[in-house]
Amino acid sequence: MSDKDQMKKGPGAATAATEIAVIEAESHGHTLEPDYKRLPIGPDHILYPVLVSLALVPILLGDAGHHLADDMPEDETHPFFPDHFWPYPIIAVLILVVVGLLAFYEQKNLQLEVSADPRTANIPRPDWYFLFLFQLLKLGPELIMFGVVPPAVVTVLLLFPFIDAIAGPRLAKRLRWKTWPVPGRNIYTGTAFVIGLGIVALLELWALAGPLSCVPWPLTGLVCGA
Amino acid sequence: MAIPHPRDIQLAVVNWLDERYPFTKAVDESMYQRVPNFANAFYYCFGGMVFILIAIQLLTGVLLSLYYVPDANGSPAAAYTSVNFIQNTVYLGWLIRGAHFWGANLLIIMVLLHMARVYWTGSYRAPRELNWMVGVIMLLLVLAFSLTGYLLPWDTKAYFATLVTIKLAGSLPPVQLGTFIKEILQGGPVVGPSTLQRFFTVHVFLLPALIVGLMYVHFRFIRAHGISEPL
Repeated sequence: MSDKDQMKKGPGAATAATEIAVIEAESHGHTLEPDYKRLPIGPDHILYPVLVSLALVPILLGDAGHHLADDMPEDETHPFFPDHFWPYPIIAVLILVVVGLLAFYEQKNLQLEVSADPRTANIPRPDWYFLFLFQLLKLGPELIMFGVVPPAVVTVLLLFPFIDAIAGPRLAKRLRWKTWPVPGRNIYTGTAFVIGLGIVALLELWALAGPLSCVPWPLTGLVCGA
Repeated sequence: MAIPHPRDIQLAVVNWLDERYPFTKAVDESMYQRVPNFANAFYYCFGGMVFILIAIQLLTGVLLSLYYVPDANGSPAAAYTSVNFIQNTVYLGWLIRGAHFWGANLLIIMVLLHMARVYWTGSYRAPRELNWMVGVIMLLLVLAFSLTGYLLPWDTKAYFATLVTIKLAGSLPPVQLGTFIKEILQGGPVVGPSTLQRFFTVHVFLLPALIVGLMYVHFRFIRAHGISEPL
């Protein structure tokens, strides 16, 4: 470090020459934003403690591995802070506003019914996220529709990366495809996704249509909504 | 004696800290790491939105627990009365309870959207299989949160919805297993005060601890793997 550098004033000047050299020597080969492009928030800047507190999260999360951006040309990447980070505080505020407005305008929805009394007769209807499951139960023997189908679906979901990696390339070979693409570009896994969502949506709408919307069902007779 | 400039004090603190842990290096490596431009697409922020929503749920949940009483004895039960009190009497109680309720609904939507994005772009593929599995387990935890939280107000619809759930879980074969599950969930011969106590404990102690732990694992994996290839 020359005398001229030491005379430099302003944020980041104090430790720039010594600290940056250490970083370059000890970094794990990641592409970092070059020094001259960073925000001028050095260790002597009033906002530096904010950066340190943000950095506590990655300290907890351990060292980064080799990332995709490390192998990409600079004009196809951007620095995490602030270019990639800035939308999230805004999104957080927007979510708070939406949640607050819903809480304000939908207070009637949140008023309780009468206190629970086991002696009353009541036909329960689950919340929307369990409604499709509730409808599924009516389509066959309860034991299969509750004890077999949902656990099977969850197991397939849980193991899907392995199913995709083992069965996918075999199918691709049979079809004489060069690769087995991701679901977004794959007619088989992509269609399975759309059909799965379609079944859930159909069951959900059927349940929402109400107890009068009945359809004759071969397994259990007449099946109505909830 | 001259008073040191606040900047010099801060610098001394930072230098002291840096000698003990490389904070400055950590700041550089985390804040200024480069991110691929394709990660700017809107559907890459669903996971971040889930994180924000879980943070809101934890915060509002703590505030609700200041007034909530997990006691289902008597009619009307103390649990019911306390929720009514939060909703109608406590200052801004309606806002905190409403935020918890709507946050939960938005959370399920965002979790499903996040999962759909990960599936669609094939981000579950090697080396990220374990993170996908952690994510599926967290989806189940979120559903368990909804299920247990639904009973806590102890009104008619909460009670009977839980009655049906427990009856279903208790119908699993063989009979001994079904009965065992039913008794574990109910904590007694009927759905009553002990059931509420159990659902409350699971909702407030067990599940938050599990989901925070798994979120840590989830983010640690993301940090190690980086963002996945674009579609």
